[in-house]
Amino acid sequence: MVELWVMTNTHTHVMGRAIVADGLTKRYGRTTAVEGLSFSARSGAVTGFFGPNGAGKTTALKMIVGIARPNAGRALVNGVPIESTKPDARQIGVYIEPCGAHPGRTGRAHLRALATIAGLGRGRADEVLATVGLGDAGRRRVGKYSMGMRQRLGLAAALLGDPQILVLDEPGNGLDPSGVRWLRTLLREQAASGRTVLLSSHVLSEAAQTVDDVVVIDRGRLVYQGSMHDLDARGESLEDVFFGATGGVYS
Amino acid sequence: MSGLLRGELSKTLSTRTLFAFVIGGVAFAVLNVVIVAVASGTLHTVSEKQEALSCLPILMLAWGVVGAAGEYRHRTAAPAALVARRGRGTLLLARLAAYAVTGLGLAAVTTGVSLAIGLPLLADQPGPGLGAAEVGSVVAGNLVACVLSVIIGAGLGALIRNQIVGVVVLLVLNFAVNPLLANVSEGLSNLTPFGASSVLSRMTHNTTLSVAVAGAVLAAWTVVVAGAALAGERRRDLA
Repeated sequence: MVELWVMTNTHTHVMGRAIVADGLTKRYGRTTAVEGLSFSARSGAVTGFFGPNGAGKTTALKMIVGIARPNAGRALVNGVPIESTKPDARQIGVYIEPCGAHPGRTGRAHLRALATIAGLGRGRADEVLATVGLGDAGRRRVGKYSMGMRQRLGLAAALLGDPQILVLDEPGNGLDPSGVRWLRTLLREQAASGRTVLLSSHVLSEAAQTVDDVVVIDRGRLVYQGSMHDLDARGESLEDVFFGATGGVYS
Repeated sequence: MSGLLRGELSKTLSTRTLFAFVIGGVAFAVLNVVIVAVASGTLHTVSEKQEALSCLPILMLAWGVVGAAGEYRHRTAAPAALVARRGRGTLLLARLAAYAVTGLGLAAVTTGVSLAIGLPLLADQPGPGLGAAEVGSVVAGNLVACVLSVIIGAGLGALIRNQIVGVVVLLVLNFAVNPLLANVSEGLSNLTPFGASSVLSRMTHNTTLSVAVAGAVLAAWTVVVAGAALAGERRRDLA
């Protein structure tokens, strides 16, 4: 894979890369969750972000979207350090478990509050509820939702601003088969329209049908980055690469 | 900023928690009026009668703590911060303002209940009656004490980020530490948020601290706690 790194007065970024993780490191006390992690995700593609449990995927995604601060390194979104940008639902839509909705609030009220904070019309809440198939459940309290419905609500929040970039942490968890198919179609459509999708998943067989590029981390470090096209050309599967890169050992 | 305020306000109004505090506040208002105006014997002075109309600032502190810490318990703080188009500090400022608005509403309801029940009962008491100025000063004191207490509570909630720990800390400070301080020095106790809000709401009277100074003390605490919460919010991870 050839990448062109460009140095400017203020920023370092990779041409055509909407998301760049540049030496991200995160420590919690003596535990290092992510160490020197560098990878990128390009526009117009779905990038799969894989790793065993505890590999640091969620922590890395939190640093990339700016809700966790790295001890070292930085995350760039469209070439700009995330800490220098004001969060905007139109730029990045994020879903990181849990769905971040108060169980005593209705799904509709949750999205309406977010839409108001984001400076979007309150009607947008109903639109995204319909998009994720929760149109009829919008008036129910989130505490009464099933796991799959909460996933859909979290995805609805991510889609609220019709963003250019989607960062999704295991969005397929708990979805029924029709939900999985819907999600796959949605993500492919997003990529086809030139948007960027970065998603983590443990379901490799499903992810293999969705992603264009592959990033694998283990124990907080990058162990593989490449494209599905390369894997196909080598006759390897995503599962082969995952187990090969992580040693097949789950920590 | 107005969008942030409206969004945060709609969050506080779309769960049952606030309404539980409204019910608790009204219940306390009724209980306080009955105990002070009826059950505690004859009220001879204006300040004794004003006490019957006082609100309960600790309830407002608790509402602020429970509501704001709940943002972290239920992980609702992160989704809001991810779409806010402003920094986390500005978003927290809007949240504190939203809680202040709810505190004003809560104080208005509970004070209204106190006046509706208390004034007729107090009219039967001997001694000087409560004129419009005395009633107005209790109402103003209640509103200010409640609004500032809610902001302090919400600031503590944002700092502590745990509802149970926050409420326990609040109760220990109010019912253990503050009385101990009062034993050492009444003046010292009155300079805490609990003491100052009690003086401001007329729950405490016959004290050397004036209502105006109590208001200034509570305002200073509000600035300190809100400032610490803002600094913490900017520096700490959200999830």
